Amino acid sequence: MEHNTLASILATCGGTESCGVWFYLIVTILKLVLVFAVILAFVVLSVWIERRVAGWIQDRPGPNRAGIPLHLFQRFGSKEKQPCKKLLHFFGVPEDCWIAKLFRWLRLDREVPTFGLMQPCLDGAKLFLKQELTPSYVRKAYFIIAPMLVLGPPLVAAAVIPFASGFSTPYGDVNMCVANLGIGPLWIFAISGLSVYGLTLAGWGSNSKYPFLGGLRATAQLISYEVAMGLSIIPLLMMFGTLNLQNIVQYQADNGWTILPLWGEGLTWERWFMLVPMLISFVVFVTCVFAEANRTPFDMAECETDLVGGYHSEYSSMKFASFFMGEYAAMVIGSALVVTLFLGGWSIGFGADAALHAWCDWFAVICQFLMFLIKLVAFIFFFVWVRWTLPRFRWDQVMKLGWLVFLEVTVANIFLTAAIIYFVN
Amino acid sequence: MEAAISSILFYLFAAIAVLSAFGVVASRNPVTSAMCMAVSFASTAAVLFCMGAQFLGIVQIIVYAGAILVLFLFVVMMLDVKSEESTLSRLPRAIVGVVIAGIFAGMVTKAALLLPGATEGKCPVAALCCDEACTTDTGATDKFGGPLPALKETDTKEISGTKALGETLFTQYNIAFVILSFALLAGTVGAVALGRKIRKD
Repeated sequence: MEHNTLASILATCGGTESCGVWFYLIVTILKLVLVFAVILAFVVLSVWIERRVAGWIQDRPGPNRAGIPLHLFQRFGSKEKQPCKKLLHFFGVPEDCWIAKLFRWLRLDREVPTFGLMQPCLDGAKLFLKQELTPSYVRKAYFIIAPMLVLGPPLVAAAVIPFASGFSTPYGDVNMCVANLGIGPLWIFAISGLSVYGLTLAGWGSNSKYPFLGGLRATAQLISYEVAMGLSIIPLLMMFGTLNLQNIVQYQADNGWTILPLWGEGLTWERWFMLVPMLISFVVFVTCVFAEANRTPFDMAECETDLVGGYHSEYSSMKFASFFMGEYAAMVIGSALVVTLFLGGWSIGFGADAALHAWCDWFAVICQFLMFLIKLVAFIFFFVWVRWTLPRFRWDQVMKLGWLVFLEVTVANIFLTAAIIYFVN
Repeated sequence: MEAAISSILFYLFAAIAVLSAFGVVASRNPVTSAMCMAVSFASTAAVLFCMGAQFLGIVQIIVYAGAILVLFLFVVMMLDVKSEESTLSRLPRAIVGVVIAGIFAGMVTKAALLLPGATEGKCPVAALCCDEACTTDTGATDKFGGPLPALKETDTKEISGTKALGETLFTQYNIAFVILSFALLAGTVGAVALGRKIRKD
């Protein structure tokens, strides 16, 4: 934030007393814009990651051709056909050098290197321009609001995720988290739990058999896994003693990440005892995040082999895209929550946060933000990896896993954590 | 200004809650009723948020809007409920409804007035759920609510009332809590018993 503009805005708003409030409002709006931009960019990016990684895992190129059509520009005088090759030639790098090979593998030797990043943009444009078809037999009002109810909640849920620590300005302290609520994870559970209405209403509103079955499956699955998800983080909260996500991440930055306690207090053997329940929590929670985001191997609600397309069979164009984006946004939020609770959130680790803060607040915040994004990308990669590793479960297996395995494991885990806290610490 | 925003939001969400609650009874379509109820629950949660009782508000959303009502919707959709013909005629039905609603409203009002600070115009829920610090260090609780909870970012103290609520529930009201839990358990056992398939062999 530029101090000059900020100062002038504050001056026009007058009154030193309300200064704090205005500063708070302006900073909050800026943070909101940042969070929305990050989430929506990550929705697009995760579609791209999904398709490129899928291609990589299946030993095929994936979408790499969509690029900037250079031959259009050539008419306007540009003669550079392969900028990358020219660059290599300029520095005298031989053709069979590893750099050249790497560049070729990254498809840098073709036209303008976009790595196929144009593909999601073109997909979006295609979905916008497609004919929008509303079948005559649907229940119209519910048919229209259902996609909104799927896309909305994940964007709202992002409000409590801290994406960097705070810094102080002359006007007040800034906490890099839109709403620093004292109920962090519960907020995310509650709000993203509301997206189940979208799936149910889409199934019912479509007024046809397969979408209805898909909607019912989605509802049953989401409710089942919400229970295990909520219970699985209780050991974590028992250890941290707080529900505030910013405080949780701060603790991890000082004393070691939840599942990687390698510095600070994390080196004590009490903490290493706690690693057992934490790892159980981690596995259960990550699996529940997969189920909540309706991702393979838990994508029962849109399982095309038994349900055509599930709850979104009747949707086309941008309404279908809303479901699609909602699913990816839920995946991004789920990843962000896993990263925040278990993998240290924005913390760089090994005591680097405190050192950076001592040196320069601004630089520390930027580094932490980048670290958070790197962790997020890594976890999204993991999501995609699992998709191409595990086959889809059967419906009864999904329910059995939720109610007969995870529920018991998480409850036992709570008792185990309590015992460790009572006897060891 | 903080108090003003809080008050405006409070009355806005309270109005939405009441209107959508009216929608629940007025609507002919059971699914529309259920959705109105969801909106009502969500805006009640927002009202609780405005009062600074964050934990109570979020639990309202998780439990009622997120789980119970979804199951409601599930059942309504599966059964495809048609409007039922009542044996009573219109006037007696209305009288019975008014009496039941009146008794319930009286109970709720009495309970609300018994809360600490309710008769002095303070926010009863804040007195019940917030920590001492929350209710004493700001003068804004005289009006509804208090400051926007998120405004107190620099305050490291937990103001969500999670701890206060937990302590009250598990010490002072422990017996009532356990009895209610058993009532719910009895309901679950009953549902399992009804839903169980009886083998003929």
